[in-house]
Amino acid sequence: MSSSLSVKVGNVSLKSPIILASGTCNFGRELAEYYDLSILGGISSKGLTIKPRAGNPGVRVAECDSGMLNSVGLQNPGVDYFIENDLDFMKDSGAAVIVNVAGHSYEDYIDMITTLDPYKDKIDALEINLSCPNVKEGCMTIGSDPAAIRYITSKLRSLTDLPLWIKLTPNVTDIKATALAAQEGGADAVVLINTLMGMRINIKTRRPVLTNNTGGYSGPAVKPVAIRMVAECSQVLDIPIIGCGGISDYQDVVEFMIAGASAVEVGTACLIHPALPVKITDDLKKYCEENGLNLKELTGSLQRW
Amino acid sequence: MDFKKEYRIKLVSKEFLNEDTCYLGFECPEIASSAIPGQFVNISAGTVFLKRPFGIASVNKENGTFNIGVKVVGKGTAEISGFEPGILVDCLGPLGNGFDFDGYDNVILTGGGTGVFPINFAYETLTSLGKNVTVCEGFRNASQVILNKPSYILTTDCGDCGIKGTVIAGLDTIDISDPAKTLICCVGPIPMMKAVSTWASEKGMNCQVSMEQRMACGAGICLCCTVKVKDEGPDGFKNVRCCKDGPVFDSREVVW
Repeated sequence: MSSSLSVKVGNVSLKSPIILASGTCNFGRELAEYYDLSILGGISSKGLTIKPRAGNPGVRVAECDSGMLNSVGLQNPGVDYFIENDLDFMKDSGAAVIVNVAGHSYEDYIDMITTLDPYKDKIDALEINLSCPNVKEGCMTIGSDPAAIRYITSKLRSLTDLPLWIKLTPNVTDIKATALAAQEGGADAVVLINTLMGMRINIKTRRPVLTNNTGGYSGPAVKPVAIRMVAECSQVLDIPIIGCGGISDYQDVVEFMIAGASAVEVGTACLIHPALPVKITDDLKKYCEENGLNLKELTGSLQRW
Repeated sequence: MDFKKEYRIKLVSKEFLNEDTCYLGFECPEIASSAIPGQFVNISAGTVFLKRPFGIASVNKENGTFNIGVKVVGKGTAEISGFEPGILVDCLGPLGNGFDFDGYDNVILTGGGTGVFPINFAYETLTSLGKNVTVCEGFRNASQVILNKPSYILTTDCGDCGIKGTVIAGLDTIDISDPAKTLICCVGPIPMMKAVSTWASEKGMNCQVSMEQRMACGAGICLCCTVKVKDEGPDGFKNVRCCKDGPVFDSREVVW
């Protein structure tokens, strides 16, 4: 059923543009204690790898102005455990199931897709994480190189009919180049942006606050960077964009959509207010009513000077 | 289904316990009526970005209030300790798993620093249940002693009041007649909890500890506040969430 909030990302229909961002919602279970997840457009799973990962040791979070650094390091139970224990929960939640796929090498990503493809009836899209800054190999290393992005995207494209959303890193000089590489490789959409790499230092010990030394910066502070990147890519891409970065209220959603996003991911703000998507959804409905529009009309409506 | 809520709660009382630690009372009947010792709340801290977690120090079900203790250690705790009664803050709670006293006739509560706040809640709960409770608290020196009762065993590092030494020196004075029916609960700095855990295991007693780690969400979704616990897998350990899987753990599970 179509409503004022329904949007499409390529062939994927979402009842709302609000998707929970990977790494800020686990697999949805804990947030289901706070609200009915079926109001959401989708849930993007915790980043998954072939084998379970313990993640990084020590301190994993450092507060910053208007945001935080994290260096969780893709702690996850492994894809097999996920399929066995979490996939059905996500499917039953009523929100679209986005499975976030991470790896340390091309082979890892390929193994992940071949493992997940048989479960395609339960999955709405695969979000290929080429952008996690907190692991030593794979992810952001691949995601910083247009040729590598093109290669791995086309390789994965040949292995599955599931929609491929490529989640890109902002830690590059030219986001258009990496986004275009994903499109050329056969991506169905790009997700912009993952976290910005940062560091905080304890001035007493002169050591980084994070035991991993660096981490990914998220929260309202990164929002203008994300909006700029969505707007830039929107001018050159034919495939849809999912906007992500510092979204905390309905105005942020509207801003991202005007910039060119077809849907958005909300993450760090939910760490502070777990039920925030309920308020954003209600506010968006009101906004659509008051302005007599369907949200999808906003996508790419930016009027540049 | 009843969903968990984020509450907007009012600060109703405030007193300083020493120069850098204050005791705050908040009105929230839902938290006051449902919290158990060892659980915590996550409270918005003025202008800083993340909420701050505090172990619940006491509840008053009749008035619908609960207390936390706040020691100033950084910007967030400085802002919170500057709050005046009447202010409204966002609060998640009660969060996490508390202590499990079931099956024990005697409970020893021990700790130090801000650990004395959850111990206070445990003491009030256990005495109201009619359990046999012994409390042993350790501080650096007399000026740091807070929430102390005459019946408590008191230790200080410098010996300017109570027994000179760590809480272990105080625990050694307790006559434990039935270790299998005695539980020890510890809330304090990691070296203290590790030492108490070893002490308890030598005595053949079960020990529960309340772990602390830098926390973001408090709700189990970000995986920032991990605690290393023993695991049968190839690594021999796994990272679990302090906020959701803890903060209270059986001390034998923890990789110290």
